[in-house]
Amino acid sequence: MVDLFGRRVALVTGKGGVGRTTLSAAMAMAAAKSGKRVLITELADPDGDYTPLARIFGRETLPPDPEELAPGIDGCVLWPRRGHEAFFHSVIPVRALVRAAMGSGALRKLLDTAPSFREMGIFYHIYTLLELERSPGVPLYDVVIVDMPASGHTLGLTGLPERLLALMPTGPIAEAMHRGRPYFTDPALCAAWIVTLPEVLPVTESLELIEGLEGHDTPIGGILVNRVLEDPFTAEERAALEPVLTAEHYGYERFVGVVQSTRTLADLRTRTPVTIVEVPEFPLSSTELIDAVADQLVEVSQ
Amino acid sequence: MNIRDLIENRRVIVCAGSGGVGKTTTATAIALSAARSGRKVLALTVDPSKRLAQTLGVDRNLAEPVPIPEERRAEAGIEEGMLEAWMLDPSVVSDSFVNRFADTPEEAERLINNRLYRQISRMVAGMQEYMAMEALYGFLREERYDLVVLDTPPSRNALDFLYGPSRLSSFLDGRIFQLFMPDDSKRSFIRRAASRLINRVNSAVFGAELYSELQDFMSSFSGIFRSMNKNASDGMKRLRDPEKVAFLLVTSPATESLTDAFFFRRKTIELELPFRGFVLNRSQAAGDARILPDGSLFGPEPTAVQASALEKLMTLARVEQAAVERHQLLLAQLQNDAGEGATAIALPVISSGADEMSALIHLGDVLMDA
Repeated sequence: MVDLFGRRVALVTGKGGVGRTTLSAAMAMAAAKSGKRVLITELADPDGDYTPLARIFGRETLPPDPEELAPGIDGCVLWPRRGHEAFFHSVIPVRALVRAAMGSGALRKLLDTAPSFREMGIFYHIYTLLELERSPGVPLYDVVIVDMPASGHTLGLTGLPERLLALMPTGPIAEAMHRGRPYFTDPALCAAWIVTLPEVLPVTESLELIEGLEGHDTPIGGILVNRVLEDPFTAEERAALEPVLTAEHYGYERFVGVVQSTRTLADLRTRTPVTIVEVPEFPLSSTELIDAVADQLVEVSQ
Repeated sequence: MNIRDLIENRRVIVCAGSGGVGKTTTATAIALSAARSGRKVLALTVDPSKRLAQTLGVDRNLAEPVPIPEERRAEAGIEEGMLEAWMLDPSVVSDSFVNRFADTPEEAERLINNRLYRQISRMVAGMQEYMAMEALYGFLREERYDLVVLDTPPSRNALDFLYGPSRLSSFLDGRIFQLFMPDDSKRSFIRRAASRLINRVNSAVFGAELYSELQDFMSSFSGIFRSMNKNASDGMKRLRDPEKVAFLLVTSPATESLTDAFFFRRKTIELELPFRGFVLNRSQAAGDARILPDGSLFGPEPTAVQASALEKLMTLARVEQAAVERHQLLLAQLQNDAGEGATAIALPVISSGADEMSALIHLGDVLMDA
């Protein structure tokens, strides 16, 4: 049994093209099916172009504040502007002053564009979402799933508290970082899930990513190996085909691919002690695919 | 329009695409082909996989481009041409920028050692994209290379790197500095009142100590930032030159990356960028020369094991055959969508375990012969 959604924060990450968004959505669906109250989020501009995650839920972009996307699943973007607003309210008691500050074109621009201030807004936004309560002491969302950006940008985000604390060791921003940090470093509250494929390069990169995340004290939940090929052949059947099948035949690539997939997975298990969850390849697409993966995740988590 | 023409005649080829589609591989194959045809080439990449760095035999994070080692050169069959590679390090580029625009070397040193600068130049978001563009223009100005192949930073949105500079440029907009400039008694009453309000907000947000450090930082760097701002706004204009620049969009046959590809195509039209083609990577489109395995595999009287093996194999074979048909349709669709003056080309899957250099040369040849 793998504790996939028992913690408040699930950061879903991995290199591009491995199915990170599909697994984020499937995880949200699986958590909802298991009776959790779920919020799914991603880093995007609510006024921007489409995102693949939003399209899964039949929208072009996710809304700036949580709205129900599917039964039991709310969703919103992680939006720097919301985070900045909330942060300003927490440090400036005068509401009129906050309104004036947020209305200042120059300050707006600084916060939108200056390196790290954007991330700080994202960080504070997710912090406020985690602090929302259904009733006193009971959080509104059992689990907040974040479809993180690709590997490099993920590390940019998880390393943020440390970087900002180096930049500004004291003061209100430092205090906010200290307040929010446990949501990203406490293994009881947070887990990062690294999505990868059963192929050599993606596996190597996911191990590098784990190293990077551990350097930022991000607790690792496990590796989700996506599109694992099932081997349909018995050993005898395989032995019968091996001498006669060549690259000239259709079917050869998958025949070889299955072996590689199995070998890469076995190799991964020897290289890391972290939990590994296998997600089989389904010959499905869009919502059917996500449903099938979600069912698989529910099974794994029980 | 063919890719060979671009590889032989353009000054800049930009390879863009969403993450994981094989941008770096395509960019490296193009750079190799151009060098093999005798051009002086720089492969400029921002976040290469270690594997490709190994193939080209260069380290990461060097201060400047380095030629690929002699044995790799020989292996790649480069004779007249030259191939250098650089894994761009944003902080190195930004230091060289400060050196170029500071009034004196002492001034430059003082600026580079500023505590906030040291932190900020290493904070990657936006800066990396800006620095990639900055380095690109630097190399074009120097005329050291005939061709620079730019492998864009990985991002979900293929065009993020183009907006990076303008995002930075709006950060560097003069108005932001005023936020941090000390009170000026010559300003009007209203301006002073506004500035007092901003001061209050800033002190509350940053804390008094950091706020004053930020004020120092902003005033010492305002000159440098103004130059950066000018460069950033010139950037897009220079990339519009259809005689010199070509944009290629790399995509995989996966639906998500194709959606991004069509989106990119529309964006290049909006931004008036010289889009020259789609590269459909890891495609089976050229795989229709294969045959379906049948009874002839085992002779007239197969054993039970052979028969069941064949049956299972047929299922896999039909999946592959269907993929070939799908990819060929896709390629036709991309070709159609590319429009006049642009092309679409399929690159095969490189089987893992293949020798890296010969695989890249093969991909380059496919591009040249298309």
